[in-house]
Amino acid sequence: MLRRDFFKQAALIAGSAAVGSTTVDADTTTHPVDNRKVADIAFPQKRPLITYSDRPPLLETPREVFANPITPNDLFFVRWHMPMIPTYINPHYFSIKIDGEVEKPVKITVDSLKDDFEPVEITSVLQCGGNSRSAFHPTPGGIQWGPGAMGCAKWKGARLKDVLAKAGLKKGAAWIKFHGLEKPVYTKTDGFVRALELDKLHDKIIIAYEMNGEALPYLNGFPVRLILPGFYSDSWVKMLSNITVTGTKPKLHFMDHAYRVPDNECECETPDNLAAKTKPIEEMNVNSLIGYPTSGIQVKQGAKLIVRGVAFDGGHGIAKVEISTDGGTSWQKATLDDGTQGSYAYRSFRHTLMPKQAGTLSIMARATNTKGETQPFAEEVKWNRGGYKYNGIDEVTVEVIS
Amino acid sequence: MRKQMVTAVIAAVLITSLGAEENKAEIQKGIKMPYMAFPMKQGKGMYSTKGKCNMCHSWGYVLNQGPQSKAFWRKKVIKMIDVFQAPIKNEDIDEVVEYLYKNYGNGKEN
Ligand code: HEC
Repeated sequence: MLRRDFFKQAALIAGSAAVGSTTVDADTTTHPVDNRKVADIAFPQKRPLITYSDRPPLLETPREVFANPITPNDLFFVRWHMPMIPTYINPHYFSIKIDGEVEKPVKITVDSLKDDFEPVEITSVLQCGGNSRSAFHPTPGGIQWGPGAMGCAKWKGARLKDVLAKAGLKKGAAWIKFHGLEKPVYTKTDGFVRALELDKLHDKIIIAYEMNGEALPYLNGFPVRLILPGFYSDSWVKMLSNITVTGTKPKLHFMDHAYRVPDNECECETPDNLAAKTKPIEEMNVNSLIGYPTSGIQVKQGAKLIVRGVAFDGGHGIAKVEISTDGGTSWQKATLDDGTQGSYAYRSFRHTLMPKQAGTLSIMARATNTKGETQPFAEEVKWNRGGYKYNGIDEVTVEVIS
Repeated sequence: MRKQMVTAVIAAVLITSLGAEENKAEIQKGIKMPYMAFPMKQGKGMYSTKGKCNMCHSWGYVLNQGPQSKAFWRKKVIKMIDVFQAPIKNEDIDEVVEYLYKNYGNGKEN
């Protein structure tokens, strides 16, 4: 019933989304396109990844990387909105300008960020709001990602709060605007600018200068980017160069039109009846992904098969991950790691199977967080026009050989 | 220019995993972005569409959408004009939509 021979439909090349509106009924959700192949060209500081565009670079991490709870920098997904991205930055010259509703506008260099502020380390998932968008039909606006528009890294940086304190917020300050160095080709196109309500500022939001113990790769925002643990990555501005404090909510395309979901209980709508009110996507919902095995591989009957993957949510923490091999009728608890990386990090899980019968074997994973929120079946995920927040139960299908 | 890009591509392919030293070198010298071809299907309206749709981003954006209806492509072209200010004249919209639908269509009008 809930099983679907989805991987037969999956595209083998990254360029095309095979699950188009021709094969699937309108207003239904499936598994996202899986098994896209990595490109034969590697981008700087990266291994070859699933590549949708070079200008701007859009690179997706292949599934097998999620067998581990930390995503290496050279396998970390890449997503820019604008094609003009600096390919050289002198970290000793680069600075973040802070102005607007502040007592004293300041410029903060990377060296000062490292030397003058208390360093904070946090392991956190970075996930695009449109991750797995290819699961939605009809096709919503945006890049048709598979499930790998995410990663988890150890970030090190200075608290945004401390940095803002250096400039001193004025009484009327209410919003913080962030701008990075990416630029549109055509000057009339709105730049990629994001804003955060001052009320939502907390101690875990940092400006990071290190990712997994190294400088950030250029394509992940060298030399500094904003880290908002628990939130989708739309506001994790890369190559962060300007922070402007404002008294009122700024009007911004990428805030007012993109990265929003229906402002109703189910955060859903239909193509013929779009919700009148929308809200920002913000906090991530509970989700998980199987890193091993991947669909299509062959395993031996009667031999141990260790299923591995990652689970996460918006910071409440993962309570359990369950595995099903009968299409979601019965579930067994997987073993979770010790959780020492904190509640914003991937919680890795593993579960040993011993396939008894030759033939096709479906393996599903379902995570539940400490609030009791759990993942719906892929088919139960409700549509929204932007294709955001997909969190359907993951499934891989392997061939058991005798 | 193109030659430089090709060299960068070859250099990048040789690197399979980056150590801290290579990482440092990249920071000191900056990076060279590879050029990737996202070929367009030959057909009526290709050149005109190429000029209009490859200005702000690669053709990969279009390929990534998969086969779509004529209405989908029309809406997408209009989105580019209305939302991102794509400089496409009213009288040129139909040719672009026809090209997209003919070559990247799913056979459905709507
Ligand atoms: C003036 C610049 C500009 C031009 C010209 C332009 N686009 Fe875009 N396009 C954009 C921007 C900006 C985005 C959003 C980029 C992002 O978020 O990665 C985009 C995104 C897209 C997407 C992704 C899906 C979506 O809904 O966002 C598609 C498909 C697309 N463009 C197709 C086209 C086609 C077809 C043409 C030619 C008719 C075209 N574009 C011309 C700027 C442009």
